[in-house]
Amino acid sequence: MHIPDGILSPEVCGSMALAAAGAVGYSLHQLKQTVSTKTIPLTGMMGALVFAGQMINFPLVVAPVSGHLLGGVLASVILGPWAGCLVIALVLTVQWALFADGGMLALGVNIFNMGVVGAWGGYAVYAGLRRHLQGPQGTVAAAVIASWLSVLAASSMFCVEFAFSGYGRTYDLTNLFALMATFHSLIGIGEGLITGFVLSVVVKLRPDLIYQPQDAATASPAISTSRAITVGVVLALAVAGFLAPFASEYSDGLEAVAERMSFDSLAATDPTVLVLDDYEVPIGENPSWLWSKLSVSIAGVGGTLAVLAAALLLGRGLKPPASRTGAGHAA
Amino acid sequence: MPRDFLDPFSRGSTICHRLPDRLKLIMVLAVIVAAMLVPAAYWPVHGCLAAALFLAMSIAGIPLRYLLVRLLFFLPMILGLAIAVPASNGFARGWDVALTVLMRGTLSFMGVLWLVNTTPFDRLLVAMRRLGLPQTLAAILSFMYRYIFVVFDELQRMREARRARSFTRRGFFAAWQSNAQLIGMLLIRSMDRAERVHGAMCARGFDGEIRTLE
Repeated sequence: MHIPDGILSPEVCGSMALAAAGAVGYSLHQLKQTVSTKTIPLTGMMGALVFAGQMINFPLVVAPVSGHLLGGVLASVILGPWAGCLVIALVLTVQWALFADGGMLALGVNIFNMGVVGAWGGYAVYAGLRRHLQGPQGTVAAAVIASWLSVLAASSMFCVEFAFSGYGRTYDLTNLFALMATFHSLIGIGEGLITGFVLSVVVKLRPDLIYQPQDAATASPAISTSRAITVGVVLALAVAGFLAPFASEYSDGLEAVAERMSFDSLAATDPTVLVLDDYEVPIGENPSWLWSKLSVSIAGVGGTLAVLAAALLLGRGLKPPASRTGAGHAA
Repeated sequence: MPRDFLDPFSRGSTICHRLPDRLKLIMVLAVIVAAMLVPAAYWPVHGCLAAALFLAMSIAGIPLRYLLVRLLFFLPMILGLAIAVPASNGFARGWDVALTVLMRGTLSFMGVLWLVNTTPFDRLLVAMRRLGLPQTLAAILSFMYRYIFVVFDELQRMREARRARSFTRRGFFAAWQSNAQLIGMLLIRSMDRAERVHGAMCARGFDGEIRTLE
């Protein structure tokens, strides 16, 4: 699950590490302003709990493989987004330092994907859904949806980083992304189920443990804007992850057609069919083929940005911005 | 709970264990960066690095069996990702990417494995602290490391109690529910413990800052 070293380029690792350090620093700053003396025992204990909880195996239908809790949304729901991000960063650091699980340079990438995109983004979706889903069942349902989305968003984030590491320039990665998205939407179902079961116990026995934002009514507009941005990014990445299978299907279909046509043109050996010649040499020699692939990925990024912009506009226009887009996506 | 169930060989006394911790940290970082920056065409460089790491592991007294078991769990994951690039290009191209990822990933993994099995966590934390890790983070990390063992002991006791109460494995769904309920109860107990520990810390004059004697 954790990204090892050697997969992403040092540039990507470095910039992600900077972003992750900034996010962790900001979380610490926020925590110091709210619960100053409780930060160390609460986040430390929650880190230990998530660490121990990850060692409980959940049997899968396929016998020898088993899954486990990831815990980003769970920690955020109990302790709030700032502590949640911090807890995931701690767990990842300890797993690196004790197990060599996840890379050393890639630690920042892992913290960003699971702590920032997973826990912050997951909490943003959860908080948005919470406004519409009342009661203890609402908490559980919102957390289930948020944890499913957070897994998907983290994996989409990895796809983006992988593409930026230079492999996307020369190779077609659509199928890889489709595979990642499909695989992680299944993992996300497991994560959602576990989070839901765990939280239903907590909600039943100790509802006071669930994090309540202190003054939701007097929240400054800056916070709600940043929350809307986070929701937008998470939803955009999730949507991108979802479009990937369709995109790949389309691309497969296109290539199949191209193959058949070029095969036909080969069989005919008709030199006048110049249009079809473009399809005949797809082995990287033809710049136009590369450009078409590039344009597809640019279109994907553009689409993601468009969704982000739409989410931002919705956030500005509608009163509860996050919840409406989130609920719409979930339905 | 044995103290070293997580990193079993980190408390040895070989030359590797006695090297300065900061030096080891920087050395491993250098190996990883080198493995990433050297192009795959110069694979003998990677080979030399792997040989050096293997030598360092045998000097540190890390058994070959342990290394192989860890690689057995590590390789399928990275292999799956590496294979995916040629797989999405119709197995015609992309094998160079797969091999590069495999080579660099395994090399870096061996480096970190050597580091964590020659340096206990508390010393690694001091080294990271001297390399610029903020003090609050270091404090939380050491708190967390301390309580991993406590929480894990509690988990073992709860599992044992569950085994004593429930006679057979029921269904697939029930196993999930029961496991998750276990985590839920553990969460409640841990949060209560955190409150108690916090109270005890405050009673001893804790004001949010950890002061050490360094």
